[in-house]
Amino acid sequence: MPMLEIKDLHASVGGREILKGISLAVNAGEVHAIMGPNGSGKSTLASVLAGRETYAVTGGQVLLNGVDILDMSPEERACEGLFMAFQYPVEIPGVSTAYFLKAAVNAIRKHRGEEELDAMDFLKLIKTKMKLLEMDQSFLNRSVNEGFSGGEKKRNEIFQMAVLDPKLGILDETDSGLDIDALKIVSKGVNSLRGPDRAMLVVTHYQRLLEYIVPDFVHVLRDGKIIKSGDKKLALELEAKGYGWLDTAA
Amino acid sequence: MTQLTSQPAPSTVAPSTGLLTEMLSAGPDHGTPWLGEIRQSGIRHFQRMGLPTTSQEDWRLTNVAELAKIRFSPAASGKAAAIGADITRPWSLRSTGANEFVFINGLFSPEHSTFSASAAGVAPLAQAAANPLWRESVFAHLALPQTNGFTALNTAGFADGAFISVPADLIAEAPIHLLFISTEAPHATLAQPRVCIHVGARSQITVVHTYVSTGGQPHLTNAVVELAAESGAKVEIVKLQREAQTAWHIGQDFIKLASQATLQALSLNIGGAVVRNNVQVRLDGPYAEATLNGITLITGRQHVDNQTLLDHAFENCPSHELYKHLLGGQASGVFRGKILVRPGAQKTDSKQTSKTVLLSDDATMDSQPQLEIYADDVKCTHGSTTGPLDDEQLFYLRSRGVDAATARSLLTYAFAGDVLGRTWHGPLKGYLEELVVAELHRLHLDRTTS
Ligand SMILES: Nc1ncnc2c1ncn2[C@@H]1O[C@H](COP(=O)(O)OP(=O)(O)O)[C@@H](O)[C@H]1O
Ligand SMILES: [Mg+2]
Repeated sequence: MPMLEIKDLHASVGGREILKGISLAVNAGEVHAIMGPNGSGKSTLASVLAGRETYAVTGGQVLLNGVDILDMSPEERACEGLFMAFQYPVEIPGVSTAYFLKAAVNAIRKHRGEEELDAMDFLKLIKTKMKLLEMDQSFLNRSVNEGFSGGEKKRNEIFQMAVLDPKLGILDETDSGLDIDALKIVSKGVNSLRGPDRAMLVVTHYQRLLEYIVPDFVHVLRDGKIIKSGDKKLALELEAKGYGWLDTAA
Repeated sequence: MTQLTSQPAPSTVAPSTGLLTEMLSAGPDHGTPWLGEIRQSGIRHFQRMGLPTTSQEDWRLTNVAELAKIRFSPAASGKAAAIGADITRPWSLRSTGANEFVFINGLFSPEHSTFSASAAGVAPLAQAAANPLWRESVFAHLALPQTNGFTALNTAGFADGAFISVPADLIAEAPIHLLFISTEAPHATLAQPRVCIHVGARSQITVVHTYVSTGGQPHLTNAVVELAAESGAKVEIVKLQREAQTAWHIGQDFIKLASQATLQALSLNIGGAVVRNNVQVRLDGPYAEATLNGITLITGRQHVDNQTLLDHAFENCPSHELYKHLLGGQASGVFRGKILVRPGAQKTDSKQTSKTVLLSDDATMDSQPQLEIYADDVKCTHGSTTGPLDDEQLFYLRSRGVDAATARSLLTYAFAGDVLGRTWHGPLKGYLEELVVAELHRLHLDRTTS
């Protein structure tokens, strides 16, 4: 059974169809890249998977380890092991990162039937993951994403993924806004989370990220549909020839 | 001093004094004939002006006409001792190290108060009348009886209150807490405290004034606070309005800052049925600095109207203002922030922000800045936002596993907590943070779906 199975997924916003029948299967241990030009529906797909209510699902199924998650709230999906790193993480003034993450970690642990972490154990966990992403201590007491640079926000997303330990990670344009050093740190973090029990969906419209996070499969999304799938060579081909190449090829 | 003046009602209309006229016997003169005279002038001004009406621009959104139809009795006098010692507990600030002065139904109650001998400089008004400083520096200097019907009524009839006098060069670590309790009664009651504060040059003090009620009868609190800070003084003043949902609360704070004096004011409004606060600050010397913050947490049919005036009379004065409102149920909020820059008040730097979160479709907010600027080299900015809790923030928190209710409560608390973070006095800040969490929960403001 695939870890994630998307079957003929349709979604619309304000009556306009954005996802027009997407099917995709991702097995545990695999990394799939979703590429595609701006506006093709990549972020919509990521948001629909995470449970954003702005989008109306008008058809299809999404199974996580065989269970349909489309009726679940965003928090239930997170507890079931789904994590999305946002393309544009929102700033939340007044909510400290430490407080928020502790609430999140313990909500998920509770759902899994594990004991909640006390302050000491939580801090220990946090510190190892902060080291992994080379983050500064002070950041724990800052409000969530408030005043962060674009790069810091992205790093914070991957840091949260490391802390929350999901089964499926969906990374939406995690490379945008990162300089090359930050890109390396973030990729190292992501790669350290790869493993036989975890799957990842890496959304990007540049090939650059895929040099660091090497995917097993690449899918090209265009106008709400997957128009081509292949292995990592497809990404290089796209880089060389541009998305227009697919129009003539199709 | 320019007031948030109520224009006298048009002469063709009789002033609305209603049953409140019955209350118009002058309060005690404490053996000082001049006080008797001021009280008489309060009576005359009230008879002339009556209660403000909604035809006056600054009272347009708060209708107090109903007050003229209620037969108020003065809050019970002289019975404070008969009230249980634990009556103050839910509102006590002793955990912050405060010296606490308790007033029951408008009268000072030494039995319920807790203060160290070193908290000298605080006196019930009955004694303050004998202190020339009271009259010369503060009393009826900042709050004139003719300002509006409520200052007139308070001047005529206040029974008690406090005079806080801080000598020069004194740093007071312990806050002073003035706790005004209106107790249960079989009839409508009226309490009119008067607080006068004089802070000497370069001194530092934190004062909290709290208004609460234990009964469910209609009652009116008509409070007047006058605060004069001498040059270089640092004053923090916190108002906690936590009255019952059957209360009318009119609170007017008149503040004057001499050169280089710094003010940090916070007004927290949680209770009351109909609440009107006027806060006016005159920056009365160069390099005086004022910060006015406010938090309103209301629901049901509560109405809170906050009106502020930052009166820049001298050059080089910064002022900062941040008012936040969290409104649930059918609550209505009003914010009017006026910034007045007088001729010559160059290099004024004033920033005003009003932010409102509406937690239900039926809650309403009316927020307006008002700038009156008569100098050319100044910086005045204002901004106002009103809307529901941020959807994107909610989704972000939920996408990490935090349930919807917890996410809402985190966001509502964060919204209000941001203001509390600016409190100077450490233990008081801790107290306020806990208070706001508890009140958000009690009022269900952390659970309302938007
Ligand atoms: N909340 C929304 N409201 C209206 N249109 C939207 C919304 N979200 C996405 N869209 C539209 O859907 C299309 C796909 O957007 P998106 O998923 O963000 O693309 P990508 O991430 O591939 O750049 C675009 O045309 C975009 O304008
Ligand atoms: Mg996108």
